[in-house]
Amino acid sequence: MNDMRIVERDVDQNGTKITARGVQVYYSDTHALKDVDVDILDKTVTAFIGPSGCGKSTFLRCLNRMNDTIPICRVEGMIKMDGEDIYDAKVDPVQLRARVGMVFQKPNPFPKSIYENVAYGPKIHGLTNSRAELDEIVESSLRRAALWNEVKDRLDSPGTGLSGGQQQRLCIARAVATSPEVLLMDEPCSALDPIATAQVEELIDELRSQFSVVIVTHSMQQAARVSQRTAFFHMGHLVEYGETGQIFTTPRDPRTESYITGRIG
Amino acid sequence: MNTEPHIASAFDRDLEAIQAMIMKMGGLVEAAILDAAQALESRDEDMANGVRKGDEAIDALEFRIQQEAARVIALRAPTAGDLRTVLTVMKIAASLERMGDYAKNMAKRAVVLTQMSPIEGSTGTVRRMARSVSVMLKDVLDAYIHRDVELATNVRKRDVDVDQIYNTLFRALLTHMMEDPRNITACMHLHFIAKNVERMGDHATTIAEQVIYLVTGTPVEESRPKGDTTSISHIED
Repeated sequence: MNDMRIVERDVDQNGTKITARGVQVYYSDTHALKDVDVDILDKTVTAFIGPSGCGKSTFLRCLNRMNDTIPICRVEGMIKMDGEDIYDAKVDPVQLRARVGMVFQKPNPFPKSIYENVAYGPKIHGLTNSRAELDEIVESSLRRAALWNEVKDRLDSPGTGLSGGQQQRLCIARAVATSPEVLLMDEPCSALDPIATAQVEELIDELRSQFSVVIVTHSMQQAARVSQRTAFFHMGHLVEYGETGQIFTTPRDPRTESYITGRIG
Repeated sequence: MNTEPHIASAFDRDLEAIQAMIMKMGGLVEAAILDAAQALESRDEDMANGVRKGDEAIDALEFRIQQEAARVIALRAPTAGDLRTVLTVMKIAASLERMGDYAKNMAKRAVVLTQMSPIEGSTGTVRRMARSVSVMLKDVLDAYIHRDVELATNVRKRDVDVDQIYNTLFRALLTHMMEDPRNITACMHLHFIAKNVERMGDHATTIAEQVIYLVTGTPVEESRPKGDTTSISHIED
């Protein structure tokens, strides 16, 4: 009786996609992330919220080994995707990043045509054999990013000539073109207007039928709108992780309540 | 529940302003209950009319509370304890408004009853009932403002006492009506009055449940003690 929800958010039957245990991250001497345990569910949108510097982006970047590119950064603990340790020496980070795509805060299209922006990933990963196949991937990716109708007649114009919202959807199309299993989004809407934000949020909800989406956001309302699971980070700790409705109505930890009700920054 | 101030202090001021209106409304309702019962017992028509007139202020406050609550929801998107504060404020205001209506109805009937011969013992019993309910209301509003679950639970349990007084009065009125049919009109009015007071007790209980939900975050589900047995009673030949 208690579990009847008007908004269908029950994703409990979905399996675990990523398991993290005892994850510690250091930037030189700074202990940025302290002993994080979390299970990211498959085909679910998971939101990471928390004040600036709480470690949410750091943790997000651990999930596709983006932190490898920072020399002073050290990651300890275990992160497994589908049971495989992603920090294993056998794992090629470039291949991993094809499986775990990423969209950044600011739209960062390549200084190339719209077509080339989307086709780049599939090309370098050798996902296609013919031009026709590539055309198909470009079209389907742009459709999934809800951008196709706006750009289909100007695929050869530069990606940088699009509006901010369109550029961000182009970046999402580029990320989904390699058919990732997980999509990481680091504040994907912070540079967008409310309409473009709504379009990206709608897109995120559609994408979750195909893969896991992990989104870092400063907008708590956005986390509440798009996610089924929410994790609250504070000072490097994962304070609370649970069903989004529960986090926003009856958080268990007083620090979570303080943050979501606007009492601590 | 978290009671630290918000970073946005205007949010605190909004929430405090709504809760202050609830307390004001509660005070007016408390006075209306006691005045209506007093007017009934002392056959004071002016006092009864004062209660009838006073209900407008209670209704106006309820309207403002609902409007302010809608504003806070739209403008502040409250969550967790703040959300429960707004939700419970709306329900408590609705309960208080109903209690005010019952007091008004009592006062109306009290005016009619001044034209009839008194029914021995009845108005004193109504006043005792009204006193119990007004104390329940006072305590539950204290529990609300102090976020006191223990006191709210205690109020919730006390409704059974009001129900018992109502049962006794119900039987007494039946007896009066059987003894002399000329008493029927007055007894019917008195019975509605007693029923109104009994319903007010139920609303005080509802408010107590809102306080428990506000503080704990879990809706009250367990059944509470009930003492109203009049719905299954009948006249023996």
